[in-house]
Amino acid sequence: MKKFCLNALLSVFVFAAMSAFSHATLADSLDVDLSKPEVELTTSFDGAQLLFFGVHTPGTDVIVVVRGPEKDTPVRRKERIAGIWVNSDEVMFKKVPTFYSAAATRPPEEILDAETLRKFEIGVENLNLVPGNAIYSMDDITVFSAGLLRNMQRIELFSAKIGEIKKVGKQLFRTNLWFPSNVNVGGYIVTTHLVMDGKITETKVTNILVHKTGIEAGIYNFAHDHALLYGLLAVLIAVVSGWSANAIFRKG
Amino acid sequence: MQIYLPIAEVSVNIFLILGMGGGIGFLSGLFGVGGGFLMTPLLIFIGIPPAVAVATEANQIVASSVSGVLAHWKRGNVDFKMGAALLVGGVIGSTAGVSLFTFLRELGQIDLVIKLSYVVFLGIIGGLMFVESLRALLRSKRQAPPKRRTHYWIHGLPFKMRFKRSKVYISALLPLVIGIIVGILSAIMGVGGGFIMVPAMIYLLGMPTSVVVGTSLFQIIFVTANVTVLQSVNNYAVDVVLAILLLIGAVIGAQFGARAGAKLGGEQLRILLALMVLGVCVKIGLDLTLTPDDLFGIAQDGGH
Repeated sequence: MKKFCLNALLSVFVFAAMSAFSHATLADSLDVDLSKPEVELTTSFDGAQLLFFGVHTPGTDVIVVVRGPEKDTPVRRKERIAGIWVNSDEVMFKKVPTFYSAAATRPPEEILDAETLRKFEIGVENLNLVPGNAIYSMDDITVFSAGLLRNMQRIELFSAKIGEIKKVGKQLFRTNLWFPSNVNVGGYIVTTHLVMDGKITETKVTNILVHKTGIEAGIYNFAHDHALLYGLLAVLIAVVSGWSANAIFRKG
Repeated sequence: MQIYLPIAEVSVNIFLILGMGGGIGFLSGLFGVGGGFLMTPLLIFIGIPPAVAVATEANQIVASSVSGVLAHWKRGNVDFKMGAALLVGGVIGSTAGVSLFTFLRELGQIDLVIKLSYVVFLGIIGGLMFVESLRALLRSKRQAPPKRRTHYWIHGLPFKMRFKRSKVYISALLPLVIGIIVGILSAIMGVGGGFIMVPAMIYLLGMPTSVVVGTSLFQIIFVTANVTVLQSVNNYAVDVVLAILLLIGAVIGAQFGARAGAKLGGEQLRILLALMVLGVCVKIGLDLTLTPDDLFGIAQDGGH
């Protein structure tokens, strides 16, 4: 129900934006915007959807790539030792985005050549994963990076397939950006490419801030900034609730 | 209803967590154990990062042990002197255990060590308990005389002390060492350690059963409190929201469990508990030995 209301609200917003755009001069390039420039992780957060929309030159295609903050990510291979599966080899990939999703008006491989897709890292399989430790062979790196992609897709932080960008009328386009409940906090970058005749002719960058807010932010920051006090308070809460539980149930 | 946990950084169903707390609380009230050995694997199973599960469960055990120890204290069933001796070892052990935990986590082997510890200790304790209670059950039918106390090598250790409440005269080194071992396990496995402490007190220290549970709970409060604080400082892994949800369920469940337990016979209870311990042991053992779906894994730690 809440989601429906949100969608209805967003639709109104889009149509308002649409009419605003149509009164302006015909867009000869690319303009984009978001329903909201942030994702707030509140107590009731269970994933969030943002509406991403814009105008583009009629007859062109649009590709949108969303990347989360980067983090060095170790990938470990399990090996059977004495009947038990143990983490053995590890490849540390440098600056891997903690979130990746892409959407396009048409399948990207139909509108851009493989080299361009790789250069602009369009689609998870084109992510440039750089191993930090160079002691492994290329073959190993290939299987480890495939392992990384599989794991990230399983926990839904990498989208497995290219999402759909809907064209509305001649020049308006819209797509929904989905952020699952396990997203990392930080600055997210939305890159929009305008594609004409097999070439990227224009690129726009938009920022989204994913952050904890309210009591979530309060607890998280307190736990990190005053770790000792946080630990002592956690113990105090436990002692008081244990004590009061005993008192309540003894009476009852 | 979903709730987003600030430290675990995952969204969980609030009723699932309350229900788990209630269910495990019921069992802990029924059997007189903390239930950490069941709760921690369950939390990991529903997607809480292992580090957060272990650290948060330690925090919850503080609450259930406080709640439990008060009743024993009233009946005079806490040997504070023995508790203090165990506690000194427990604080040393749990401090070392948290450092070991942090080290293993950086090494990428913490999941393996948590699971291996579970398999080994649950296997040993569950097996011993099962055999022992089966024997007791048979013995009570045959009306055999109780076993006489034997003289072990441990009675020859130095620094002997008299523990009046427990009616034993043993070396202070013994509770110290037991405390250290249980403290390390408590930090790594996210358990209070009652399931190891209680048999150790009965069989190694020769304490009377009446004071065992109270004294064990007494020292568990301090050891798990120590783990909670150290995990907060070293790993930022204690999620108070998760802990509060768990302990609400647990304290209520424990009350009902204790009432249900009074209706069942002691030996039947112990056999049931032994079977449950062995069940968890087998489940985790299979996780370790069956070929995983994906041979590659990425480190997913909470608290970052």
